[in-house]
Amino acid sequence: MLTWRKIAHVMRREYLVNFRRPAFLFTAFGVPLISFAAMFLIVQFTASRETNLDDFQRVAYINRAGISLDGDYNPGDYQPVVDDTLAVPGDTADAAAKTAYFDALHESASRQLVDNEIDAFFVIPDLYVLTGSVDLYARKNVPAALHSDIEDFMRQQIAAQAPGDLPVSTERLGGEVEVTIRDINTGEELSDSALMGRVMLPFVFVMIYFMATNSTAQFFMSGVVDEKENRLMEILATSLRPIELLWGKLLGLGALAITQVVFWAIAGAAIAMINKDAQEFLSGAAFQPADIALVITMFLANFFLFSAMMLGIGASVTAEAESRQVAGFFTFINVLPLMLSVMFITNPNGTLPVVFSFFPLTAAVAMLMRFGFTSVPAWQIALSLMIQVMSVVVTVWLAAKVFRLGMLMYGKPLTPRTVWRALREGHTVLTSAKENGVQVTKKPTRTRKWGILGR
Amino acid sequence: MSLTATDSAICVEHVTKNYGTFTAVDALSFEVYGGEIFAMLGPNGAGKTTTLRMILDILRPDTGTITVLGGPISEKTKDHIGYLPEERGLYRNAPVLDVLVYLGQLKGMSRQDAQKRALEMLEYVELGEHAKSKVSELSKGMQQKVQIIATILHRPDLVIIDEPLSGLDPVNTQLIKDLLFEMNAEGVTIVMSTHQMHQIEAMADRLLMIDHGHQVLYGAVDDVRQRFAENAVIVEGEGDWSALAGVSSVEQNDNGRSVLLRLADGVTPDMIMETLAVSDAYHIRRYELAVPSLNEIFIKVAVSGNGQNGG
Repeated sequence: MLTWRKIAHVMRREYLVNFRRPAFLFTAFGVPLISFAAMFLIVQFTASRETNLDDFQRVAYINRAGISLDGDYNPGDYQPVVDDTLAVPGDTADAAAKTAYFDALHESASRQLVDNEIDAFFVIPDLYVLTGSVDLYARKNVPAALHSDIEDFMRQQIAAQAPGDLPVSTERLGGEVEVTIRDINTGEELSDSALMGRVMLPFVFVMIYFMATNSTAQFFMSGVVDEKENRLMEILATSLRPIELLWGKLLGLGALAITQVVFWAIAGAAIAMINKDAQEFLSGAAFQPADIALVITMFLANFFLFSAMMLGIGASVTAEAESRQVAGFFTFINVLPLMLSVMFITNPNGTLPVVFSFFPLTAAVAMLMRFGFTSVPAWQIALSLMIQVMSVVVTVWLAAKVFRLGMLMYGKPLTPRTVWRALREGHTVLTSAKENGVQVTKKPTRTRKWGILGR
Repeated sequence: MSLTATDSAICVEHVTKNYGTFTAVDALSFEVYGGEIFAMLGPNGAGKTTTLRMILDILRPDTGTITVLGGPISEKTKDHIGYLPEERGLYRNAPVLDVLVYLGQLKGMSRQDAQKRALEMLEYVELGEHAKSKVSELSKGMQQKVQIIATILHRPDLVIIDEPLSGLDPVNTQLIKDLLFEMNAEGVTIVMSTHQMHQIEAMADRLLMIDHGHQVLYGAVDDVRQRFAENAVIVEGEGDWSALAGVSSVEQNDNGRSVLLRLADGVTPDMIMETLAVSDAYHIRRYELAVPSLNEIFIKVAVSGNGQNGG
């Protein structure tokens, strides 16, 4: 039976010792700090970009609302969209003819935008006087200055007219003008940040996932190599069972990985609280709440799989430098889906992403990325999960064997042949100490007393 | 668990261990009594470490049985054993006290008890001021002391030390010897394994000598030496040794200061001493029985291949 008290001691030590490691402190605190710094720089950068209107010298408008726009105030020199091929309907034309004309004009404006004849255009819709809402179309990032210029333009134009000339309420005159950016093809409303979030979030999650599982799995490996290099294994082996040592390490480092993720989650929430863009960025997530349980399961599977592998590597090699090389190879395979992310973006249900979802070393990362881009068929999720759980079981079992075998082989690498032989020998029955072993032989000498060294 | 001299601390019966086709330990049997200092002797590769690892359940024997502290070894038994392996080490980047407390806790001690006793013992070996230092900051001798503390911190009933004196300078050798004697005087059973037989012969009560996994000698140290003693005496002094009655031959020892006098049949060392005592022709500075060292005995039995079992 496992001694949980000893497991708890190992767990506590592994957690505390690794918590104080510079490598952990860097990933746990440094990464959120760097993210904060990056956010700050981006905000600064965008702030300067937001006032720059160099890219928006030619802005046109379509006035479907029929408001008179001949006031003096026109700082952006906004001109009506013109298309000579279209006949302008007269004042007496019916509503249907006017609508057809404006629709055609809209299409023409879109063409001009694509052909780069204009930099942007805005449409003042029929119901402008009621909604105060203007739709802006552009193919480049719209600076805040353009928003406010258009708002000012609209307000000033309206204000320049006598109230009696306008079918508009006085509230409307002083009220906000809302400029909505719309997709030029679909006409759907877009938020820059949300759009970015939709594309970037799977990567962000995968990166967090990858860093948390791999960095702690690496701690696992270097801990074992350290104990091996420092000749502690025999002392540990006579204090607790290898499986207790393993569990203590796994739980301690698992808790550390969770701590790391919690730090990042807190940092993410803090950023979102003070930054509206970050909020929208996160709102762009295509994850459903139901996915979260799945993500956590895969997180744990990936963590245990890699920890077990790192343990096996740690027990097989003789020096930390050597272990890093071998570990690097497996880490590379783990991160392969991220490196081939373009295939996941363009066709998340394509052959390669699907194959990656079923390969134990890439399954967790591949599935997570696909979740971000598409809806994955249920049978694929089930199969991938099954493969992951099975590979965890097999790898942990194998790693425990290798660990028991390799922990006492100081200065000698464990070859695949030795491992194979040990696994085969593992099937033979081991003779252990027998109960009621021997008769006690008596020797009449000292009795026990304790002094300074004793109790 | 308190062990008295009437208890068997370790009992090894017909134990064999093979590594592939190589037999490291071959049908080995011996017993360690409670409260004694027991030495396991033999050259490098004789199977000493393998035997110790089997006793400690790090390795499993292929055949045979082992009982430790009165029963088959269990996790509970392990808490009563202090083991210092030949390849010894500590967490190098951790403070001395932290390492000791951690290892003590793994042996079943409470945190407070481990901490209190570690500090006491560090003081005892004059390392009190280094409790907060990192292990890597200590000298090699200091690290050895910390390792010994780690071995006995949890008040074990049985201490097993593989090559206790290897790589130690004379000062630390004496320190470890003193510690071992002191623990033994308090009733702790001590098992030592070494290939440096001369260092052990003055310490151990009984011994097991193994070679190529086989037992070659087993019994009380004095008995073993007496058994291999020749009818001869070693004398240092002046006089014409060959003229002495009852001496069959005289050999000059290597250092030239003493001579080995082989005695004729029926002549005892006591008779020679009596003769010397009443004679003016001889001045004696040293007179002792020519008991061979364990090293000499080992070479003798290993070469002849006819070890005898005693004890």
